[in-house]
Amino acid sequence: MIRRLSAIAGAVFADAVRRRIVLAVLFFAGVLVFAIPLLPSYGIGVIGAVYREFGLALVFAASLVLTLSLAANRVPGEVERRTVYNVVAKPVSRWEYLVGTWLGIVTVMALVMGAFVIVLQGFGLLRYGQPMWQLWEGGLAIWCEMGVLAAFSVAVSSAAAPLFGVVAALTVEFVGHSRDSVLGQGGGGVLRALYPSLDTFSIVNPVAHASGVGPVYLGSMLVTFIGWAGLLLLLGSLSFGRRDL
Amino acid sequence: MTDRSIPAAIRVSGARKVYTVFPNTKRTAVEDVSISVPEGAIHGLLGPNGAGKTTTLKMLLGLVRPTAGTFEVLGADARTRAGRVPLGFLPEQPYFPQQLTAAQALRLYARLSGLPEREIAPRIDELLERVGLGGQNRTKLSAFSRGMLQRLGIAQAIIGRPRVVVLDEPASGLDPVGQRDVRNIMLSLKGEGVTVLLSSHQLSEVEAVCDRVSILNRGRVAAEDRIDALLQVAGRTSVRVAGLPNGLPEAVRALTGDVAVSSGAIVFSVADIDVRRVVDAVDDAGGAILSITPKRESLEDYFTRMLEATAQGVGS
Repeated sequence: MIRRLSAIAGAVFADAVRRRIVLAVLFFAGVLVFAIPLLPSYGIGVIGAVYREFGLALVFAASLVLTLSLAANRVPGEVERRTVYNVVAKPVSRWEYLVGTWLGIVTVMALVMGAFVIVLQGFGLLRYGQPMWQLWEGGLAIWCEMGVLAAFSVAVSSAAAPLFGVVAALTVEFVGHSRDSVLGQGGGGVLRALYPSLDTFSIVNPVAHASGVGPVYLGSMLVTFIGWAGLLLLLGSLSFGRRDL
Repeated sequence: MTDRSIPAAIRVSGARKVYTVFPNTKRTAVEDVSISVPEGAIHGLLGPNGAGKTTTLKMLLGLVRPTAGTFEVLGADARTRAGRVPLGFLPEQPYFPQQLTAAQALRLYARLSGLPEREIAPRIDELLERVGLGGQNRTKLSAFSRGMLQRLGIAQAIIGRPRVVVLDEPASGLDPVGQRDVRNIMLSLKGEGVTVLLSSHQLSEVEAVCDRVSILNRGRVAAEDRIDALLQVAGRTSVRVAGLPNGLPEAVRALTGDVAVSSGAIVFSVADIDVRRVVDAVDDAGGAILSITPKRESLEDYFTRMLEATAQGVGS
């Protein structure tokens, strides 16, 4: 099973890193990192916090574009081009195909975000003399959130058109960060526990203010990520398993 | 129906597929198809466009969910992952990730097929050579012609050393040399004991390699038998004679209706019971008998006749 998953993930990774959109987003995000110090609100005293906050916002925006473009198009593209036949007619389960695809996408995202954080950290060190290790926590949080969104997009687009997958994922992203607006601050009772919240991954403030979130919180974030991604991929696999190709 | 007492490599029983088309229209692609292919045989699946051939194959491979029916490969449910372990498949007009090289693509499919890692590299070299793509290991698939992709498709279908291979239009897009190569590959697979289920529009290809054929029409099996049995014209014998400059003797002409001249020889058919009289008459006229064989029509003629008969049956 591991071999089949890694083979599919490897194929997705090799295909994704050659896509122009990945290179384009990486290039423009890299250029923008160097433009952050030109922002007008930049001032002495909060210089590091503003840099980190804008840096993470940039990473988030670039990752969102990449995640949706890769995750929402992959399965429909393979079905439309019929390259999927050569895979799922082999002794490969539909769920293995879906999970392998997701693994390939999150691996690409890990690479891209690792590169972003290295550029951010390197530039921050050179320009401000601060190592800014908290950026890695912020990068991990965004990667986890993108992993959940990728799982959702893969699951939805395995049964629907790519555009629908993108719109649905953006809706989930919006709803996932609106729990307090929908249920009220601290309210909602049982509904609050069941609400599909992505707020766990919102750690911009502690990262920007250099306090970080600590290993326990990072652990809980990973558990949330695995739980959501697993549930969404399970639902996607059930749906994809019933689909005629 | 298929006979379950006979060991079969492929057994499809009562296959049926009804698609629901939005909003609530039903379209039957396969009505009732049963096929049994013995181990080591090459079985042809024929039929006009829309007969249900590809849908039947897709149900067998688990690509399409059947409305009804059972699908077995070597006794196991072919629609499960484990059931597909001994199975190789060439889809019609296979597509591949264009950014990969031939070797990279085959490596991926070898790993998915479960081929041990140490066997993959030599197997890729062997297969590329076998399908006529020797030396193309590092060529990107974006530079491959249609025919080369078809050959690569055959290689990916058999890379895992399957015991059963399903080929959907394997000669599609190939030139005559490529078509001959594909025929030779199928025959060599048969020689290795591999069972082949071949769906094809190329009747000459089917006639050349298949032991038996199933002819599908309108989602049903319209005929199934050995090719010889299907094409043999009951009660008629084909006679080929030479050395008759004045044509057939009157006694022979009276017994035959279809006479053709080919390469200096006269070919005609007579009723089986008249063969003795024909031989004597040709002999008396100084002619030479070149061959006497059971009369056989071409698969193309049989196929056309059968489809016309079905159409008339439906129309009446």
